[in-house]
Amino acid sequence: MSSLRIGVDSGGTFTDVCMLEEETGRFSVWKLSSTPSDPSVAIAGGAGEIISRYGGDDAQVSFFGHGTTVATNALIQGRGAKCGLITSDGFRDLLDLGRQRRPHLYDLQADKPEALVPRDRRLEVSERIHYDGTVEREPSEDEIRAAARQLRAAGAEAVAVCFLYSFVDTEHEAKVEAILKEELGDSFLTTSHEVCPEFREYERLSTTVVNAFLGPVMRGYLERLSPRLAETGINVPPFITQSNGGTITFETAAKLPVRTVLSGPSTGVIGAVETGRAVGVDNIITFDMGGTSTDVSLIERGRPRTTTEAEVHGYPIKSPMIDIHTVGAGGGSIAYVDSGGLLKVGPRSAGADPGPVCYGLGNEEPTVTDANVAMGVLNGEALLGGRMKIDRSASLAAIEKLGSGLGLSMEETAAGIIRVVTANMARAIRLISVQRGHDPRDYCLMPFGGGGPVHAGRLARELGMDRILVPRNPGILCALGLLLTDIRRDFSVTRRMSAEPANLQAIQDAVDGLKSDAEDWFDSEGIGADRRRVLVTTDMRYAGQNYELQVPLPEGGADGFFDHLVENFNQAYQRQYDYTAPDEGIEIVTFRLEAYGVVEKPSFEKYEEGDADPSAALIDKRRVYKPEIGDYVESPVYDRDKLKAGNVVPGPAIVEQMDSTTLILPGQIGQIDTHLNLVIREGVH
Amino acid sequence: MSSQSANQTATATDAGADVPIDPVTVEVIGNAIASIADEMGETLVRASYSTNIKERRDCSTVIFDGKGRTLYQAEHIPIHLGSLMGVIDEILVRHDLSTIADGDIFIGNDAYTGGGTHLPDIVLASPIFHDGRLVGWATNLAHHADFVDRAHAHIFQEGLRIPPIRIQKAGLIQQDVFELILLNCQVPHERRADLRAQMAANSFGVKRFHALCERYGVDLLERVFDELLDYAERRMRAGIASIPDGHYEFQDIFECDEFPEQLTFRVAIDVEGDEMTLDFRGNPPQVRASLNMVETALLATVYYAVKTVTDPEAPPNAGLFRPIKVISSPGSILSASEPAAVNGRTNTCQRVVDLVHGALADAIPERIIAACNGAVTSTTFSGINPRTGAFYVYLETLGGGFGARATKDGLDGVQVHITNTSNLPIEGLEMEYPLRVERYELVRDSGGPGTWRGGMGFNRTIRVVEHDCRVDARGTRHLTAPWGLFGGLEGGRFSVQTEAGEVARNHGMLELKDGETISVTTPGAGGYGEPSGRDPELVKKDLAEDRISKKTAEEIYGLR
Repeated sequence: MSSLRIGVDSGGTFTDVCMLEEETGRFSVWKLSSTPSDPSVAIAGGAGEIISRYGGDDAQVSFFGHGTTVATNALIQGRGAKCGLITSDGFRDLLDLGRQRRPHLYDLQADKPEALVPRDRRLEVSERIHYDGTVEREPSEDEIRAAARQLRAAGAEAVAVCFLYSFVDTEHEAKVEAILKEELGDSFLTTSHEVCPEFREYERLSTTVVNAFLGPVMRGYLERLSPRLAETGINVPPFITQSNGGTITFETAAKLPVRTVLSGPSTGVIGAVETGRAVGVDNIITFDMGGTSTDVSLIERGRPRTTTEAEVHGYPIKSPMIDIHTVGAGGGSIAYVDSGGLLKVGPRSAGADPGPVCYGLGNEEPTVTDANVAMGVLNGEALLGGRMKIDRSASLAAIEKLGSGLGLSMEETAAGIIRVVTANMARAIRLISVQRGHDPRDYCLMPFGGGGPVHAGRLARELGMDRILVPRNPGILCALGLLLTDIRRDFSVTRRMSAEPANLQAIQDAVDGLKSDAEDWFDSEGIGADRRRVLVTTDMRYAGQNYELQVPLPEGGADGFFDHLVENFNQAYQRQYDYTAPDEGIEIVTFRLEAYGVVEKPSFEKYEEGDADPSAALIDKRRVYKPEIGDYVESPVYDRDKLKAGNVVPGPAIVEQMDSTTLILPGQIGQIDTHLNLVIREGVH
Repeated sequence: MSSQSANQTATATDAGADVPIDPVTVEVIGNAIASIADEMGETLVRASYSTNIKERRDCSTVIFDGKGRTLYQAEHIPIHLGSLMGVIDEILVRHDLSTIADGDIFIGNDAYTGGGTHLPDIVLASPIFHDGRLVGWATNLAHHADFVDRAHAHIFQEGLRIPPIRIQKAGLIQQDVFELILLNCQVPHERRADLRAQMAANSFGVKRFHALCERYGVDLLERVFDELLDYAERRMRAGIASIPDGHYEFQDIFECDEFPEQLTFRVAIDVEGDEMTLDFRGNPPQVRASLNMVETALLATVYYAVKTVTDPEAPPNAGLFRPIKVISSPGSILSASEPAAVNGRTNTCQRVVDLVHGALADAIPERIIAACNGAVTSTTFSGINPRTGAFYVYLETLGGGFGARATKDGLDGVQVHITNTSNLPIEGLEMEYPLRVERYELVRDSGGPGTWRGGMGFNRTIRVVEHDCRVDARGTRHLTAPWGLFGGLEGGRFSVQTEAGEVARNHGMLELKDGETISVTTPGAGGYGEPSGRDPELVKKDLAEDRISKKTAEEIYGLR
C-alpha cells in the first residue's frame, strides 16, 4: 500500500494536480481545465484521476493541500458577500475616509476602490474604550439588538465589527459578536480583534471588512469541496494555503479567508524554498513570470521574507503575507510606443486569449512572447510541447511595424522589448532586495512559471547575480509547493512598552499569552507535540517612531535578555537605515508568534551524476539573435527531459521542455545537478 | 558587475556624444532614478519621529542632476517641488562650487533666500560627487510641525529663517549650526530625530546614485539625463497640443479668515500649438497675512495644474516646465516679495489650480473637474502634555471634497491638488497627544449637486483632555463655496464650531479648556452638469446612504 501526498493548485485556466509517493519520492503531475462555475468539480475530479491513474486502488492519501484563487477573484471581481458593519459611534465613515490620500497624485480621473460596505449598512453603537484601556461607554444590549435587526432587514450575509482600541480590550467586540450570533444565526460574523489585533484603526477595519466580504464565499466554496473530496476517498483533513505560505485547515480558512488572498503565488515561493533546500541553496530570489504578471520574492536563509501589511487590489490588508511584489508584465504583455516616443511594455496584456500575435487568435500588437519568438529564443513552430502552433512570421511583421515608428530594425525592436521587460523585472527585484538592505548578488535567482527561465539569464546579469537555479519543472512549482508546506498560524498582540528590564514580566506575559493561544490551536488542529514549532519575534522601534523592525526575541531567561534584544534591534536598524541613535530610547510595540505544525518533508528523487556531454539531448539547432553582438548566432537546442545529471551545457544554448524554455547566454554555463535542476553560472573568463 | 554589462557600457560611451542613446537605456536609467527617490521617501517616513512625517507623510524627495535640474520628484506632495526646485540654485549662488565637497549636507527653509516656500518645510540637500565631479543632488523636504503660535504680518514673525548653509561638512555634523536651529524650535527633540531621518534619507540616495555612476559611467548618465528631460518635454508638448489653441480667462473670489476683504484672483491663458503661457499679472498685492505665495510656489502649482490636464503619467522632471511660460507681478499675493508672510500659502495655491482649471473648462470639458474643496484646512494644537510635562504640537491638515468629473462623481474626503498628506490614525493621535477624536464623518449635502455629484467634505471633532491648549484652526471657503461646472451646483463650506457655537471669521488663536471640543467642517466640492441629469438610481442611493438629504433629493434633483 503506497502513501500519497496530493497538492491541487486551482487557477483561472488550469487546475494543476501533483502527487508525491512518500516511499520513493517520485512525483507526478496532472493538468486539467478548471471549472470556474464550481472549481471544486475540477479539483476533486483531478485528485480522483491522479489517484486512480498513478496510485492504484490500494493507494492511501496521507495529505491533501490546496491553493486557491477563490478569495483573490472574489475581491478583484467584487463578488463577495452583502456586508454590514458595526463601528464605534462617530466612525462609520472611516471606511470611506481611509487615510484621506487620493488614489493618484496627478490623474483627476482615478478612483478609490469601492467601499465593500455601503454607508447605509454601516451602523454605529454607543461605545468607547480609550488608548489605555479605560472604558468610557459600553454598548447596550438593546442598541446592539436593534443594529442586528436592522442589518438582518437589509439582508446582510456577513457582518464585521470594528471598535477603536479593540487590540487593547476585546470585550466590547466580543459582546456584540455574541448578541449578533443570537440575532443573525448563520450570518458570517467577524471581529477586528480576531482578524487583526493591531494599532491603526483604518487598516484594521479594512482587513476586517475584507474578511467579512470573503467569508460567505469561502465558506460556500469549502462546503462544496469537502464532500466531493470525501467521495474521492480522501479521508484526511484537507488543508488550504494562506498568503504567508503556511497551510490552515478548512475550518480556519472559513473563519479567516482574508489570510488566503495570496494563496496562489505564496505556494510557488514555498516550492522554491524546498527546491533550494534539497540542494543546499537557501538564499534565493524567486522570479515567477506568467502570462500577465510576474511575482518576485526574497528567501533569506531558507525563510521567505514576509510583510504584515499590503494593499491587495486597492484594499489595505494587515495579515502576515509572504512579501511578494507583483509587476504587471508577463509573456502576454503588449509592447507599444508612448506619446513621448519611448518603448513601453505592459501592463496591458493579451492574456492567454487572444494571446501573443504568434498564436494567430486575433491579437495584432506584439507581446514579450512575440519578441522571444522573433529572436529565435522560443520555438518558432510550436510551444507547450507541440500543443500550441506558432506563426513566427506574424510576430516578425508586428514587431517590424512597431520598430518602424522608433527607427529601429525588427531585431533591435525585439531586443528592446526584452530589455525593457528585464529593466522592469530588475526594478521589482531591487525593491524586494536592495530597498530592504539585501544585496541581490548574495542570492541565487530561481526562475519559474512559463516565462521565468526565458528571461532569467539577462535579469541575473542586470543585477550582477551569478547563479541561476531553474527547477526541474518550472511551470508547476506552485503545485509542488503545496505538498511541502507546513501547517501554520500567526498570532500577534500589540503591547506598547519601552525595552527595559522593568518590563521583563510584561514581556513574559505577552509571550505566554501568545504561546497559550498557539497551544490551543495546535490542539484544535490535532498537531502532535513532536511536530509543534513556534517562533517569537517582536516589532521594535525608537520611541517616537511609528514604523517598526521585526526583531527575533532572544531565547532563554532573564540573563542578558535585554542586551541581546537591543543588539538584535541595533543590527536590524543599522542594516535598514545605515545609522543607529544610541541616545534614544527603544520601544517594543507588537509581539508576534508563528506557530508551525511541521510537515515531514519527503526527500526528492536523486539521480547519479553522469558525464558532462549533453549531446544525447541535442534535438535541434537554430539561429538566435544576440543583441550583445548585434547578430544571429547558431545555438544548439536541448530537450530538458533528456538532459542527465552531470551534463554541462555551455551558452549560447536553448533548453526546451513542455512547460517552459530556458535561455543560456553566451558566457554562461549550465549544468544539471543530481535533482535534475539546471544550474546556470557565469563562465570563468 | 558582470563582464557583459561592462561591455555594453563601453559600447554606448564609445559611440560618442552625437549618436542618440537608445530609448531603452533611457527607460532603464529613468526607472533607477525614480526608485532612488521613492526609497529615500520610505526611509524618511520610517525613521522619523513626528506624526506629521511618520504618519501624515508630509515630506518629499527629489533627485537633481549636477546642473541643478529636477530629474525626478517622488510622488508625495506637489507643492514641495516649489521649495525643492529653487534650493540648488540658491546654494550655488551662495557657495562657490569649489568649496562644496563630498559629505556636505546643506539645510535651508527660507522662502526668499533658501529656495523654500514656507519656514516649516526644511530642505536637506546633499551634493553627489563622482570622481571629483558634481553629478547630482539628493534632496528631501520634511514639514516640521513647529514654529507654532506665531503671528503672520511678515516672515520674521513666522519662525527661524535658514538660508542654505551646511549642517554637515565633509561628513561631520556642524554641531554649532544644529544647536542654533534646535534652540529656535519649540519641540527640539522631534526636530533632532526628524533631521537625523532626513540625513539618513539623503545618505541612502547618495549611495544609490554612486552605484548608478559605477554601473553606467557619468558621461552616459549625463546624456541620459538630458534625454529624460527632453522626453518629458515632448510628452508635455504633446499634451498641450491636444488643447485647442486660444485665449482663455478666468477669475474667482478668494477669501480667508485672516483678513476681511474678498480678493479677486485672475488668470489669462494662451495656448498656441504645443506651448502655453499663463499670465497672472493684475492679481492683488501681497497681504499682511500668511497667504502669500512666492514665485517658486506659483511655478510648482502651475506645473501641477497643467500636468493634471495634459499628461498625468509624464515623469515629474524639469523637462515638463519648458513649454510652460508663467508671468506674474512681483509683490503680488501670487508672487510675493520679501518680507511677506507665507506660512498659509497652500490655501492660495489650491485656488490657483482652480483658476487654471476654470480657464480651460470650455476648451477641454472632458478633462476638467469642478472645483475641489479649494483649501488646505489646518488645525494646530499646542500645549503642555500632562502625561509627559513636555510641550507638544499636533498639526493636521484636513481633506475635503474632490470635484465632480465629466463622467463620474468626485471623491469624498480626500486631500486634493497641491497636497496629499495622510491623516493621523486616531489611535496614533490619542496615544501620543492629550486629545480625543469624538467624530470623524462625512457631511451630508456637502457634495455639490450635479449630473455627477461633487465629493463630500467631512467633520472632525476633537476633545481636549486633562489640560488647556491653544488651537489654530485655519481655512478658506468660509464665505464662498467650491463652484460647479456646466450647471453643476456648489459644494459645502468651511466652518469651525466650539461649545460656544460657530466661531466667527477672523478669530485668531482659540484657547480651549480641559474637556472642551472643537469641531471643524471642511468644504465639499462642486458638481458637474445639471442636477436634473443625474440618474435617479444614483439619487436614491445617495439618499439611502444619507449622503444627501430628502430635501436635496426632492427639491434639487426632483426625486419623487
